[in-house]
Order: sequence, then C-alpha cells, then structure tokens
Amino acid sequence: MSAAPPRHKRDMMAQSALVALGAFAVMASAICVLVVVPHTMLRTVQAPPELKPYTALQLRGRASYIANGCLYCHSQQVRDPSFTTDIDRGWGSRATVPEDYVYDRPHLLGTMRTGPDLINVGQRLPDLDWHLIHLYDPRALSPWSIMPAFPWMFEEKRSADVQSGDHVVRIPGPRAPRNLTIVARPEALALADYLISLKRQYPMPDSLRARDRMAIGGVVHDGGHDRE
Amino acid sequence: MTLVPALVLAWGWRRGFFHDLEGQSRIIFDERDWQLARPWESEVARRERALAHGTLLAPTPGEWGGAGNDGAAL
Amino acid sequence: MSAPPTTIPRGESGLEPREIDAVARSRGLAPEDLDVRIRADASSRWAVLTLYGVAIVWLLVGSVFGDIASMKLHWPDFLTRQSWLTFGRVRTAHLHAVNYGWATAALIGTSLWLMPRLVHTELKGVRTAIIGSALFTVGVAVGIIAVLMGYNDGMEWLEAPRYAAGPFLVVGGGLIGLSLFRTVAARKTAHLYVSVWYILGAFIWFPMLYIVGKWPTYVGVESAAANWFFAHNVLGFWLTAMSLGAAYYFIPKVLGRPVYSYQLSVVGFWSLAMFYSLNGMHHLVGGPLPTWMITTSIVASVFMFIPVVATGINLHMTVIGRFGALRYSPTLRFVVIGALCYTAVSLQGSFTALREVNRLTHFTHWTVAHSHVGGYGFVTFIAFGAMYYVVPRLVGHEWPSAKLIRWHFNLVLGGIAIYVVSLSWAGVLQGLALLDPQLPFQVSVERTLPGLYGRSLGGIILTIGHLVFAYHFWIMLRMPDLARRTRPPFHDAQPVLYTAEATADHAQASHERHRP
Repeated sequence: MSAAPPRHKRDMMAQSALVALGAFAVMASAICVLVVVPHTMLRTVQAPPELKPYTALQLRGRASYIANGCLYCHSQQVRDPSFTTDIDRGWGSRATVPEDYVYDRPHLLGTMRTGPDLINVGQRLPDLDWHLIHLYDPRALSPWSIMPAFPWMFEEKRSADVQSGDHVVRIPGPRAPRNLTIVARPEALALADYLISLKRQYPMPDSLRARDRMAIGGVVHDGGHDRE
Repeated sequence: MTLVPALVLAWGWRRGFFHDLEGQSRIIFDERDWQLARPWESEVARRERALAHGTLLAPTPGEWGGAGNDGAAL
Repeated sequence: MSAPPTTIPRGESGLEPREIDAVARSRGLAPEDLDVRIRADASSRWAVLTLYGVAIVWLLVGSVFGDIASMKLHWPDFLTRQSWLTFGRVRTAHLHAVNYGWATAALIGTSLWLMPRLVHTELKGVRTAIIGSALFTVGVAVGIIAVLMGYNDGMEWLEAPRYAAGPFLVVGGGLIGLSLFRTVAARKTAHLYVSVWYILGAFIWFPMLYIVGKWPTYVGVESAAANWFFAHNVLGFWLTAMSLGAAYYFIPKVLGRPVYSYQLSVVGFWSLAMFYSLNGMHHLVGGPLPTWMITTSIVASVFMFIPVVATGINLHMTVIGRFGALRYSPTLRFVVIGALCYTAVSLQGSFTALREVNRLTHFTHWTVAHSHVGGYGFVTFIAFGAMYYVVPRLVGHEWPSAKLIRWHFNLVLGGIAIYVVSLSWAGVLQGLALLDPQLPFQVSVERTLPGLYGRSLGGIILTIGHLVFAYHFWIMLRMPDLARRTRPPFHDAQPVLYTAEATADHAQASHERHRP
C-alpha cells in the first residue's frame, strides 16, 4: 500500500488542514488561558508605595546579575508559610506577591536554590563591603560556598597604584591575595548596590489581602497569622 | 480547552478520516518491509510472514541501523 | 589492494538527486517511476547530512560546556578568571548548544528525512531547507556567543538576544518549515501518518511559542508566566513532538509490525496538545502568581497521564514479545529506550508537579536530573537511534564498525544512568535539608557534593560516548567510493526462501511428517 492517489484533492487538503488548524487552535487556547487572561488580570497590579523603582545604578547591577547568570543558582521569591519553610529559614517576613515585582523587567524569580533566596538579601546583608568581598571571593566569607568567584569585576593593583577615588575591598582571612590591593570596578559596585536594594518586607495592605483571599479561596496568611 | 480539539476531531470523524485506522497504521510499510527476513523473529513468525507476503528477502547490511547484519549484539 | 573489485550495479541508496535520471534510464524507467523511497532519500540527502553534521558539532560543543559547568559546582574556583567562562554563562551556553543546537538540528534533520518517506514525494524546496538550516545555526551560534559575552535577555531558555539572534532563528526556522509544508502539500499518500501530525505540529507550535516567549513588553510576574509557558512547551511541542514522530516511525518500521493501536495514536496526539500546553506554571508552584494558574498547571500535569499512557502503551506494546530485536538493531536499542524514558520522565513530571512533592523537589538538583531524563534519555536517545537508521540510507552503505556502535551505546547509557541517579539523589538530600529550618543553608550545599561529583563523572562518560559517535559519523562519511561499490547495494536484496536454520528445521519437520 504505497502511492495510492487520493480520491479527492479536497480530502488531501482537509486532512492537513485538520491537523494544522487543530494544532494551532489548541495552542492559541492555551496562550489565552496562561498568558492573555493573566495579563489582563495582572494589569491591575499597583506598585506599593514603599517599593521604589530601581535607580540607574541598581538597573546596571541588575543587568550584571542577568548577564552573569545569578538567576541559575538564586531564586527571588518567598513562598507561603502554610506551604513551606522559606520564612522560618529567615528569607522574608511574608510571602512575596505580584506587587513586589512590578518594576522587574523581566522577572528573576528563579528555579534553583544552589544558593540562598535573594529577594530580601538587602535586609539580611545590607553591608556594601560584605557583598564586594563575597563577589570577589565567596569562600573568603563562607568556606563551604560553591558560588563562583568574580575576580574580573575587580582590579588587582599593587598598593602603589591605588588612587584616591578607588573603592578598596579588604579581603579577610587566609585567602586574601598577597601584595595586591583589590579595587572594585563599577560593575561590582552596581551589582552590590542592586543586591542591597532587594527588600520586600513592607507589609501587604488590606486591599491586597482581600484580593488574594478571592484568588486562593478563603484562607489568607499574613506573616504567619491565619485569617479566614 | 476541551471543546476545541473535540470539535476538530468531530469534524475529522465526519469527513471519514478515522474510518480505516488499521490501514492508516500500515501506510509506512511497502512490500519490501513486509518481506524482510528479520533475524530476531522465530521460525514460525518468519513462515507466517512468507505465507502472507511472499518470498522473504535478506536484509542488507545495516538494515536495522547498525554495522553488518548479524547483530552488533550487546 | 590487488585485483580491481568487481563492479556491482550502483546501489540505490546514497544517491544524489542528479544521479536519479541516470539510474532510472539504466532501468528503462522514467525518473518518477523509480521506487519512491529512492527518490525520497535522494532528495533529502544533502539537507539531512548537513543538519546531522551540524548537530554532532553542537553535541560536542554542548558536552564540553556541560562538563565545565558541572565541574565548577564542586570545584568552584575552576576557570574563574575569565568572565566568559563564569558558571552562569557556561551553563546557559550548554543549554542552548544541546537543545537549540544538537537536539533541534538532529530532529529537524530526521524530520526532513521522514517527511518525504511519509508522504511519498520528494522533499520540496531542498535549497530553502539548507539555507534555512544554515541561518538557524548562525542564530544559535550568535545567541551562545552573545550569552558568553554577557548579553542576555534574562529569561531561562530565552536568553539569546532577540534582535541579534532572533532574525536568524525566525527566518531560518521559517524556511525549513516552508520546505516541510510544501512537501506535505505535494503528498501522494491517501492518509497522513501520525508522524506527519507531530512534525507539522512542531513547526506550527514553535513559532507561536517563540512569539509568546520573546514578546518584548512583559513586566513582573506576567513575564514569569510567559517565560515558563515558553520553556515548558518548547520541550513538549518542539522536542517531544519531533521525537515522538520519529519513534512512531522507526519502531514499527524496523520491527515490520504496525503500531499496537492506531486509535491510541489519535488520543495520544490530541491529549498531548491539550494538556501539555497548560503545564508550564508547574515551574512556579508556591510562587507569586494567581493560585488558579498554578493549580491549572498542576491539574494539567496530572492529566498528562492520559497522553503519556496512550503513547506509552502504543510504543511499548508494539515492541512486546520482540525485545530480541534490540540485540540486532542499534536503532531500536536507542529508540525503545528513548520511548521508555519518555514514559518515565512524563510520569515523574506529573508526580513532581503535585504540591506535596514539589515542596521537596522545587529549587533542587532533582529538577535538573529530571530535565536530563527527558532531554537526554528521551530526546537524545531517539535522535541517536534515528541517525543510525537514516545515515546508511543516505550514504549507501552500513556503519563501518559494530564495535564503535557498542561503545557509543554502552557509554551513553552508563553515563546517563550515573548522571540521573547521582543528581536525583543530591536533589532529594538538598530538598530535605532546605525544608528543615534548623539546618543552616550550608548543609544543603554540603550534602549535594557527592552527587555533584557523580554528575560530573556521568557527564564525562557521556562526552566520551559522543566523541565515539562523532568519530564514527566522520569515518562513515569519509568511506571511499570503492567501499560503496564493493558492498551489496541497499535495495538490491537477495531473495531467500528460508534461512539456513529454517532449511534444517524444514527438513527435520518434513522428515517427521513422513515417518509412519
């Protein structure tokens, strides 16, 4: 049974059309459900007053975060305490909500926690120099860390070459490079500034809790207190 | 979401695309495929094949995607 | 080399289009009356061999990036001096090279070979397909180089900069699709076999997904929804679709037996389309999205049971009772294991989407291991099996070395087993540690280290297997014309009434029948 010519040319077209149109239609429906409808719903999401847009320096830092793939080891979301232990672990005081991400283009929610969640790292670790040391050599601060080092975001100068405007980073402990002074480049400063800006601890207003109550269906949590 | 493929399939059924599914599953075979003597088939299976499709043909080296014909066995 | 070899009539496989006329004339036939298989294979020859060559290069490139990335996780000070080698860029380069490079090229090549065979006509627009393939390859390369240089659009699976790489990918992919659609339009068969649906589907779906994924105006969590809509569906509607199209052809074809139940093929195709498309949000369980979206995806993930069982029954039941064939056919060995991995990875996925399980596995290496059961155990194995079947038919002779095939198979099977077991184990330990707030984060890292070493070992074994395969492909293409002429041509098979054992059995049986 090989090259039997079809009875009607229309039948030939119809079979291809069935597959093609059917395939298209199913995908189009899915796009409506998971992309278009959420888009219309999420359009009403307002920026919380406590959340400021990223500054130009922070945006440069965010671009560096993306360029260097920080996303592939770090997440930026706190999950609900009724579901899991993110809050107990100290990664935030409440679950994060869509409002927390209105200035994020694109999102950096992440899917791996090879490293800790970072959405509130600015709250936990607000010190600029801590971040600079950590970026230069994570193991200088956490010997167990498997995070990559980013020495190329820094200049390694001889002491004599250090200039007055340089931001010098003093690396502690046995891993300090000998006879070299570490100076942060603008990229490191921007990235650190971005990380320090990551704080989503302001409380969720009542109006948002009401919205979420409708979405989740009755049970709303707020910093660990159950409310019906 | 269920409606769309259901409608598509219903239309297809009315056009008669699902009437000879058994035949449709055979469309990828030609005479040679049916007649090839497959080394893993039992003698009974091979006789059945010869009865149904005629004299069996020897497979060419590499017929099954390997080197030679006898197996490249694990 | 002593006496010149006996000239055997030129074989009918490994023909190029320009040779068709001569072969036809030598038989006293018009070219269009030559066996449709010969014409189909001749028409797709250059496009397919080019794509396969490109695919193998990407496989090697992607393997090296993967090995480097893997080693960086347990040797974090490995290759940290250069920015372009930082983990976050190398990992992405690996993902793109193996998915958009290797798997895509190998499966498109296979689809271009399959389509003419399936619709009984020559491949239309061969030059278009080859140009399209070249452009697409450039697009993937531009994307990877850009990522290594630090240009990244910021969403997983969608990193390649849209204005630098996008035009090449879109135009290239479009030209290949055009060639395929034209071939289907010119078909001579009465029906479209299921593999045609999957291939057509893939080429309709991928552009839709790309547009959704690369839309430039998303903000905030809506970008997350679009991101995972794309990333999950590119697996199901691009890689899986073409892989299943191939499996539905090669398994019955080699076995000489139709698929177990063609009705199930219909069910499998349409239920895959319906349910898979809604799965994407299961990457965001617990995340800051409207709960109804995530629940929809979890439910759809569980409903995936239907297409997966339908397809699984179909493919596995076709093989039942004939597992002996795997000893003789490398194609079947790879494709059947690939199909088993499809069932496994899908059931694993449905299970992992459930909130209670996801609570443990989300954000851990378990997910990466899962993705390799799919991308490697399923897609890559099917690509290997397809290539083993197709290439001899395009170059006119069998693979030169059974030993190299055996080494390839054993290495990649062993490698992926070690990979998946080590990394899944690491993921579970990591997940358990993360769930216990009494344990500092440090513990989750330390407990994964043995598994990360295991994954590197698995990865290196896989890479060696790929080198073996690449070498074999190279010598296969380079075999001199002489070898082609001295081996029996592909389609000029010698008829045999019975095999030797059969003759003995027959004699035995007839002797017994004639006993008083």
